[in-house]
Amino acid sequence: MKLDTTGMESAAPVWGSHNELVDEFSAAPSFELPNTTDFDGFQKEAIQMVKPAKGTTTLAFIFKEGVMVAADSRASMGGYISSQSVKKIIEINPYMLGTMAGGAADCQFWHRNLGTKCRLHELANKRRISVTGASKLFANILYSYRGIGLSVGTMIAGWDETGPGLYYVDNEGGRLKGMRFSVGSGSPYAYGVLDNGYRYDMSVEEAAELARRAIYHATFRDGASGGVASVYYVGPNGWKKLSGDDVGELHYRYYPVMPSTVEQEMVEVTGA
Amino acid sequence: MVGKNCFAIASDRRLGVQLQTIATDFQRISKIHDRVFLGLSGLGTDAQTLYQRLVFRHKLYQLREERDMKPETFANLVSALLYEKRFGPYFCQPVIAGLGDEDKPFICTMDSIGAKELAKDFVVAGTASEFLYGACESMFKEDMEPEELFETVSQALLSSVDRDCLSGWGGHVYVVTPTEVKERILKGRMD
Repeated sequence: MKLDTTGMESAAPVWGSHNELVDEFSAAPSFELPNTTDFDGFQKEAIQMVKPAKGTTTLAFIFKEGVMVAADSRASMGGYISSQSVKKIIEINPYMLGTMAGGAADCQFWHRNLGTKCRLHELANKRRISVTGASKLFANILYSYRGIGLSVGTMIAGWDETGPGLYYVDNEGGRLKGMRFSVGSGSPYAYGVLDNGYRYDMSVEEAAELARRAIYHATFRDGASGGVASVYYVGPNGWKKLSGDDVGELHYRYYPVMPSTVEQEMVEVTGA
Repeated sequence: MVGKNCFAIASDRRLGVQLQTIATDFQRISKIHDRVFLGLSGLGTDAQTLYQRLVFRHKLYQLREERDMKPETFANLVSALLYEKRFGPYFCQPVIAGLGDEDKPFICTMDSIGAKELAKDFVVAGTASEFLYGACESMFKEDMEPEELFETVSQALLSSVDRDCLSGWGGHVYVVTPTEVKERILKGRMD
């Protein structure tokens, strides 16, 4: 009687034997390894390539009434959440905001540095610096440190004589002017909601709600974003913080738990 | 986690690929039979495949021996199956919990190649395992009744996953006593 051993077959192929009995079981699945001399190094590189650089979600957009700026508040180190209450929207001066994505220390230091330079410009020229000028200053500083390893992905948002201004500046020295930006590992999710709901003619409340929703959706999908969704508005009189809602509570506000019909009910078993 | 003639087994509900969340209702804990539960953390596909293989082996056992497997025996089975793949392992860390003879609770965890770790109080596995160790250690008490055990396990789970980017999005808790199995879903932070 032949025992049925299909439940207990081992994965290791039986070397060298051409036993008919065993051949059917012994063909172990295998896959090709890449042709490199240093397989470990290759693996490390591959992992680094897919590792997202900036674990956060920030966004900003220009609309009829001014600029709306929003961000999450989670700081993560790899998988560890080091803080759920980080201020990612930095107040450069009363009418200009900068957002933080990338290295926290880098962003905080260089934004404060930018604030200093803006104030010096005011004193030297007896008038406020424009958003264009401030972002150019920032981009030039970052360009001079290019390749050293700073990690900064920021948006400079403000209101100057020409109206609302929004620029994206990063550590490579890139500087882009635009109407809508989102930066960070959660940005694809935020863009989905933001691009869908955006209209130039929105009221301040509508725009704030759009920004809040976009950040909420990014925190839901992205592991490196979460905490509190802060929303700031920059208008002709400077910036104003509109709201800071805990994202955990926002979820149940947008998608409340509906009582569902009971399919199976468990009853107490008596005297068991 | 072990209580007084009962145990609780809990997991989070997230399925993700690195930082992206794919699902928020992933079943990580499965029932092998009324008195043995298995939780599998780690790679989703390996967790599903390993679970299917174990159910298969348990059904064979039931046919041959005409009874359910004891949790200690089941743990040995899992360990053997994992070690079979020593040089190409399943990327899973199982957590096994069951009621043995005389309704004595039995819990154990394993690494991905089958090294058993038995404990009298609690076992943990997953990306947030270090946080879980801290939370369980401080919240655990001997001989908790099922209701108090549920509260403790829920608090430990929710507070630990709130420190991990890759875990969370709700919780799933099973509290098993000799007479009944209570399954509950926890409302957690969805970020």
